[in-house]
Parts: sequence; structure tokens; C-alpha cells
Amino acid sequence: MTPTSRGPARAPASLPRPPLDVVQQWFQAVVTHPAGVAAGAASPAAQRLVRLDRGALEQLVRRSRRLTAEQRLEIYANAYYARLLECLRETFPVLAQALGAEVFDSFAFDYLQRYPSRSYTLYRLAESFPRFLDETRPDQPTAAGARAPGGAGPGWPDFLIDLATLELAIAEVFDGPGAEGEPLLAPADLLARQAAGDFAATRLAPVPCLRLLRFRYPVNAFYSAMRARRPVESPADLDSPATSEAAGAGAGASAGNGASAGAGAAASAGAAADLPLPDPGAEHIALSRTDYVVRRYTLTPFESAVLAALVAGAPVGDAIAGAAESSHLPDDELAAQLDAAFRRWTAAGFFRAATS
Amino acid sequence: MTTPPRLGHANLGLGVGLRAAHFDHILRHQPAVDWFEVISENFVDSGGRPRHVLRQIAERYPVVMHGVSLSIGSTDPLDFSYLGKLKALAREVDARWISDHLCWTGVLGSNTHDLLPVPFTEATLAHVAARVRTVQDFLERPLVLENPSSYVTFAHSTMSEWEFISRLAEAADCGLLLDVNNVYVSSFNHDLDPDEFIRSLPHHRIVQFHLAGHADYVTHLIDTHDHHVVDPVWELYRTAHRLTGGVSTLLEWDARIPPFPVVHAEVLKAKRFMGERLPAPTPLSAAVPAAAAPAAAVPAAAAPATPRMAAQVPHPLHHLLPEVA
Repeated sequence: MTPTSRGPARAPASLPRPPLDVVQQWFQAVVTHPAGVAAGAASPAAQRLVRLDRGALEQLVRRSRRLTAEQRLEIYANAYYARLLECLRETFPVLAQALGAEVFDSFAFDYLQRYPSRSYTLYRLAESFPRFLDETRPDQPTAAGARAPGGAGPGWPDFLIDLATLELAIAEVFDGPGAEGEPLLAPADLLARQAAGDFAATRLAPVPCLRLLRFRYPVNAFYSAMRARRPVESPADLDSPATSEAAGAGAGASAGNGASAGAGAAASAGAAADLPLPDPGAEHIALSRTDYVVRRYTLTPFESAVLAALVAGAPVGDAIAGAAESSHLPDDELAAQLDAAFRRWTAAGFFRAATS
Repeated sequence: MTTPPRLGHANLGLGVGLRAAHFDHILRHQPAVDWFEVISENFVDSGGRPRHVLRQIAERYPVVMHGVSLSIGSTDPLDFSYLGKLKALAREVDARWISDHLCWTGVLGSNTHDLLPVPFTEATLAHVAARVRTVQDFLERPLVLENPSSYVTFAHSTMSEWEFISRLAEAADCGLLLDVNNVYVSSFNHDLDPDEFIRSLPHHRIVQFHLAGHADYVTHLIDTHDHHVVDPVWELYRTAHRLTGGVSTLLEWDARIPPFPVVHAEVLKAKRFMGERLPAPTPLSAAVPAAAAPAAAVPAAAAPATPRMAAQVPHPLHHLLPEVA
């Protein structure tokens, strides 16, 4: 039996036993209200369910010897935001550090209003955060800092969106499907196909954890630089796997390379935003996972184009030809890049199999 | 009484809640722990390391699945997709039983990810009992339900929490997970007698105990799982152990997590309250690797207030951090 709603209940005459669904909807409206319990109880959403003034909350929620009904409800209200903000900080540690706790929490707090969790798992809580940052970015080029000098290039909102996109992708690749324990395409397999003369017609099946990303700012380099400076914030962090750099990063892993982000930064660890905003610049990244650790790989624009076409299912020959059309590099240089790239990609386990 | 003690489940001994911070230690050292309890939501969707680690642990240790998202008390429909994942994981790791909380987590499709209280009324009882039976039919096994810590009670409740739990267990023929710390926390918060709470339950239906630490905010207690178990909770445990004859006992430590030996040593203290004579406790400095020792210095007291946005995060917070090179 599911108790059903029978319209608004009026306190106190019709309040004694409000239906369970009414109680739950009222409770949720009150403890998730961004301005707290008093505002939540006074909100139209709550008032539609149970018409209780702030001073009459004890008609529905008992007080204790030490706390009023409102104070007791505030425990749930505090917990709601504390828990979900903590989860978002954990999903976006570098963004949170770059912005500083207060600014990040402000973004995250607003995000929770627009995208409250609708999943049984906290692992999906953050999935719309980059979209939220994009939806709420300053629209006017005249807004302070909204656009880079000149007005046409990417601005700091793009940096935030890109960084959030990277961190969300890392979290998804970490716990999503992978290819550990499965046979992967080895460099020798490709060499054999080249020797057999059917390399151009070969299609390569990517592992499910391979993710290609293109950014407007070098956020991967920034991510590496910030992680290298991350302070230990609590004893629990000493045990946290996230604070330990995994050994044996794959070939081409980008940790610490090419970062303009660190230039001129103060040496002290712990400052929230002591690395300056890097200059805009396209960055192409592949994420994958081996031995259950997420690996980051920097790609050239040409490599990125080839890899994207391969992942989309194009034969190797078509993928290369398509990418070469938009490249200004001489053919011999492209050939050298490709040779090295295919070796790195297969060594990094990007592909499960090759088919003709 | 036809229901067998513990619903026929074995007493697994003294276990520890599996947490990611301890994955490497457990895999490397294979400590002599009787069993592990896992947070179901950390693994049901995992295609990565968490599930890989769990498979290895399940090969060596008995595993119990403990969820935080069943929302058995909600008026929203049951999530059969989630239940299907629970069932599959239980089969995969040979879970000895599946537990969750007597609570609701959200309504109208939203999820607060908190363990929210229900009013203890006849209507609620009928509603929850029907859902428990549905879940048990789906899972093809008895459900084990835990009393959560709570911070409010409802004015229109018509029975005590222990009466509600007792009648629910009989009506739905389910098992109980008695969280002794939650009894203490809720009793403090609601001006109840925790001893009466424990004495009034149907002891033969208690399959498992939980132990944990909490934070003392003077005016109320919060179930933070970030401390050692306090002495009054151990005394309640002594009572519960005597009344049940002993059931599987598990320690939860979810925030400011100390090194594994500290957590394990904490649950082993339970032996002192079972009437067993024990050798003198090992000094902490001898049990904890030197490099990890500072993390054991967990503060004994919490802030005396509940500042908005700055509060400690109460249990539960199921979220694991990625490993990135």
C-alpha cells in the first residue's frame, strides 16, 4: 500500500497524520532549500504540501530537550549540502584548488540547485557540471574577464569548463569499463599488417576506456602542474590513493610537460590559486586506463585527427588521408609522427583488435 | 518461535568495512580479518579497480553487501534496475547477505543521498513492509535492515522506533542490522533510553551489529564514522551481545580514516565485551607502521556547533577517488 496525497494539509486541524508522500515531499523541500530550513518551510513548494509557519514546525517535527524542530531539521539541511559539496570537490580537486574553496563551493552550490541528484549513485552527481559551467558562463564579452583580450578568443570560463571536462572524464574512465585482462593489439601486430600490405584497409577497435578530448586551454598541463603542488590537507589524504602518483605511466604520458601554467608561480604549496591562468592554446589529449590507473597522453593535432577517425571506425588509410588534408606539415614529418604515434598507441593499449 | 537465530546466517565474527584507503594494505598483507562489509554503491556500477579489488577480496574473505540507496521507506517506486545490479553483484562476490537502512533517500525522483527518517505510523509500517517483501522476492533472499541515526522525530508517530522495527521485521519476515552506535546517537538526539531500545528489539532477528564513532555537538550527536567507538556504545554492545548470543560484528570508519591496523584493532576490542579474557592491548605504536602513525591521531572532539556549509559530513558518503598517472 502506498499512502497517497490528498491535497494540502492545514496545520493544526488536518495535520495530525499527513500522508507519507506529503511528509516526504515537504521534508525534502525544506532540507534541500538553498536558504535553509526557515526559508524552505516558507517556500511555495513546502507550503503547497503542509501549511506550516516557521513557528509551527513542532506540529510536524518534535523538538528535543536541547534543540527546536527547526534546529533539528537544519542538521539534515547542513548534511545535504556538506555531503554533496564534498563529493563535487573530490570529483574536481584541481578545479577546486584552482578556484579556491569558497569560489568552487559557490559554483557547486548553484549547480546543485539546477542539477539535483536523480541517481542512486553519487558517481553521477557531477556529470552535468561542465555543462552547467557552460550554461551559466558570462554571456557578455564586456563582462570582466569573460573574453580574452581582443574579444574573439577563449576566456577564463572556457578554461574552467575545459578543466572540469578533463576531471570528469578522468573520474569516468577510472571506474568505467576497461580492457584489463583482455588481449590487446600489440605493436608487432601492426607491423605484421604493414608487412602484409593491408595496413591501409585495417580498422582498429578501440578499448572502451579510450577517450579523446580537445581543449581550448592547456588544462592537462595545468592539471599536472597543480597536482605536483597539491598539499596534503588531512591525515586521511595520507591513505588516499588519489594522492599517490602511479608509477610507470605509459609512453607519452604528459605529466609535467609543456606547462606554461607554472611559469612565475609562487613556490609555496597550499595556496589555492597560486598558478596563474595559462594562456589559451589548443590541447589534444587521449585518456585511457591500464592496470586500473588512468593515463593521460598528449597528442599533436594531426595525431588527434587520425585517432578520432580511427575511433569512429575509419580504415587506417582513410584516417591518415583525412587528417593529412588539414595538416600543413610536410609528408615526411607526418610519416615520422605516424610511425611513432602508432607505436605509442599500441604500447599504451589503445586498441583491442585489428580487422580488415 | 519458528524463525531461527540470525535468520539462519552464520556468525561471521569481527569484520571491517572495506574502504578504498585500505585496498593496497589488504591486498598486500591479507590481514587476519574475519570478514568485510562493502558499500554496495561503490561497486555495483564499477568497471574499474574497485570491482577488481573486491573480486580478489571476495576470494579470500566472506563479504556482506551494505547499501545506502535502497530507499525502502520512500513513496517513490522501487528502482528495479538498481536491485538487479545488487543481485548480480551479490552473486558475483557470494555476498552472505544484503543490507540497507530503514529510511528513505529522496522522493519525486530526487536523491538527497542521506538516510532520512520515516514517521512511525501504521500507514508507514504497511507501506515499508510491503516494499520489503517485494525486494526480498526480487532478490530471492531476506533483506537485512539497519536502524539509521536520526536527528528528528515526527509529531504524528504513533509508536516507538523499536516497536516499528520489531513489527516490521515480523510483518516482512526480514532480518535486522542493529547499529549500536546509531541507537546511542538517536537515543541521545530524541531523549530516549538506548538500553530500552536494544532490550525491546526481536533479538533472534538480528543478523549483524554495526559499531562506529560519532561526533559530539553537545546539543546533539552526529553519526560521522570518524572516531573510535565511545565507551557507552561499547557498553550497549555488551548488552546486545548478551541478548542475541552474539552475531557478526562490523566496524565502520568512513572519514579521517586511520591506517588499517588501527581500524582492525578497534573492532577487535569487541572481544572485551563478549566476556572473553584478553591479553593486554597492543600499544598503538607497535600496531601501526611508523610512516602511518600520524594519521592515527584522530581528534577526540568535534566542533561544538553545526555551522552551515562547514559541518562534518555525516555518514553516508559513498564516493571513491580515481587513480591517475
